[in-house]
Amino acid sequence: MLNSEKKNSTGKEKKKEPFRSFFLKIVVIGFTGGVLWSLIGYLAYVLNFTKIGPNRALMLFAFDNWKNGVAGHFAGAAFIGIISILTAFLYYVLFKKVRSIWGGIVFGVALWAVVFCWLGPAFLKIDPLGRLGTNTIVTSICLYVLFGVFVGYSISYEYGERQS
Amino acid sequence: MKDRDRKAGKGELNMNDEEKGFDSMTKLTDQEKSQISPKLQDTEKFFRDHIGLGTSFDLGVRKFTLLGKQVHLYYVTGLCDSLYVIELIKELLKINDHETEANRLKEIVKNRLVHQQVTLVQTLDEAVDQVLSGLVVFFVEDSDFAFVVDVRNYPGRQPEEPDTEKVIRGARDGFVENIVVNTGLIRRRIRDERLRYEIMKIGERSKTDIAIAYLEDVADPGLIEVIKKELKTIKIDGLPMADKTIEEFLVKQGFNPFPLVRYTERADVAATHLLEGHVIILVDTSPSVIITPTTFFHHVQHAEEYRQAPAAGTFVRWVRFFGMLASIYLLPLWMLYVVQPSLLPEAISYIGPNKEKNIPIVVQIFLADIGIELLRMAAIHTPTALSVAMGLIAAVLIGQIAIDVGLFSPEVILYVSIAAVGTFATPSYELSVANKIVRFVLLLLVVIFKVPGLVIGCTLFILFLASIRSLNTPYLWPFIPFNPQAFWQIIVRSSVPHIKVRPSIVHPQNVKKQP
Repeated sequence: MLNSEKKNSTGKEKKKEPFRSFFLKIVVIGFTGGVLWSLIGYLAYVLNFTKIGPNRALMLFAFDNWKNGVAGHFAGAAFIGIISILTAFLYYVLFKKVRSIWGGIVFGVALWAVVFCWLGPAFLKIDPLGRLGTNTIVTSICLYVLFGVFVGYSISYEYGERQS
Repeated sequence: MKDRDRKAGKGELNMNDEEKGFDSMTKLTDQEKSQISPKLQDTEKFFRDHIGLGTSFDLGVRKFTLLGKQVHLYYVTGLCDSLYVIELIKELLKINDHETEANRLKEIVKNRLVHQQVTLVQTLDEAVDQVLSGLVVFFVEDSDFAFVVDVRNYPGRQPEEPDTEKVIRGARDGFVENIVVNTGLIRRRIRDERLRYEIMKIGERSKTDIAIAYLEDVADPGLIEVIKKELKTIKIDGLPMADKTIEEFLVKQGFNPFPLVRYTERADVAATHLLEGHVIILVDTSPSVIITPTTFFHHVQHAEEYRQAPAAGTFVRWVRFFGMLASIYLLPLWMLYVVQPSLLPEAISYIGPNKEKNIPIVVQIFLADIGIELLRMAAIHTPTALSVAMGLIAAVLIGQIAIDVGLFSPEVILYVSIAAVGTFATPSYELSVANKIVRFVLLLLVVIFKVPGLVIGCTLFILFLASIRSLNTPYLWPFIPFNPQAFWQIIVRSSVPHIKVRPSIVHPQNVKKQP
């Protein structure tokens, strides 16, 4: 499909075409990464590794009690997926040229700091760091790092492939 | 480069490129000396002094007379087929009956060598290489060249189904130890005019044949270049461990236990990968070929999946993934709930060692795991008939009695067995061993650090895999970096008509699979 579009497009559109497909790719990468690592976070929540499940993302909205059940966690994962698209673009703007996984790791830790030090206590009913306990902190940092590497390395790799 | 040792002694045969520029006089005389002499005694003396004619029992010379001139035939007994040699000599001896022109003997001999592969060589050096490869060389008196005839018959077996990659349906022929047969098996499946086999010799002493196979208009030229360059830099005396040694030179593995190239003994798997744009390295004397570039997920697929309906193949694959995940994570997870029972979710609260035994659980797990490893090794070295009996003894007696005498708790046996079965279900043996090592490390981390140990361990494990790049290929592709289409094909065994493009990871020049 992409190829046929390319053939039909004229000179000016040709330049835009690669960027549009890259744009789409970032959306897919961000969404998948958000959903995937949220679901793994849900697994960690079920296994009692962490006190914070993906439903915590929904605390912004005043839904009924269903958000505390299984459905709430899945809905939370989907919501995190949508938010993740934005973070993926943030990575693209900041770190797209970093070709090692360290860009993703740093990005993940930074995201975690933003969520757990500022957003969480302020809006998402996440306890301050002191009361979270080691297990929750370690597990959440690891999840954010893995998310960061997933999104970051994918975007950087894609960027590098398109450059060459 | 050739035969450094043989030449080093007397400097008679130096044709090294490096020396060409130094002294044109020496070069000339050297070339003259390595030229085949019209006098057969010189040749024989050379073979006696340098190759060990008369000392090595398997090297021989057969002399006969044609039209009053001497003809010598050099051979290595173990590597050539006597029947063909007899036919050749028979035909040559008829020259005495039918021909008269002794001064045209060279042409007559060439004409009478009844074989399709007859080549001329000008130097003793080449002649010796050919003799030691199992070809026979005819030296005719008064001629400054020799005839090489390919009558090789290497000791070896017929293609048979590889033990490690069995399928229920599908081709039963696997690679053998002979590179020519192996290239033939692939050529049978790809009759494409653009299939290339580039051959080179590696090993100062072993002179092992190595072929690089690829589709000229598909495979990434950069990759081919890199592989050729890496192979050419290999300086080693011999390659008795064939492909494994080549792999270690090629990918520089270090202490990373994860397999960086995929091996296969199946010709259909090799052909599939060639068509996808991979480059394949065949090494003589080994029945497995190297597929490059390889990612982690190449090691979790099996030919069987592609011989079943897509749905069935997907099912098989998911069961296999489940087994592999269990082989890594089941034991550490259970161990975590043993050391920290408070973490156990309500729904599965019945899990856990119900009776504490005398030995700490972690020691039990290690003992049981090492026991299974021992059994596996023992089974490999034991003849089949005995190993069945041994398996019974092991499973029934050792396991049951270990529980009865209070050594093991039953759960340990259960979980270690599940993990072991998962290990055996891993299609790539190399990967299963690497997974086992990861499992041990995670177990230790859980025992020492509990939840943080397990979580950080798993994270570092994934980060470690993601950071590996072999032959410029990210190891966890298409998961990290994420490629949706390719990842879908890992999760689901798609039907072949739906796979329209080659995987992007091999950077194919020609993307479309279905033109």
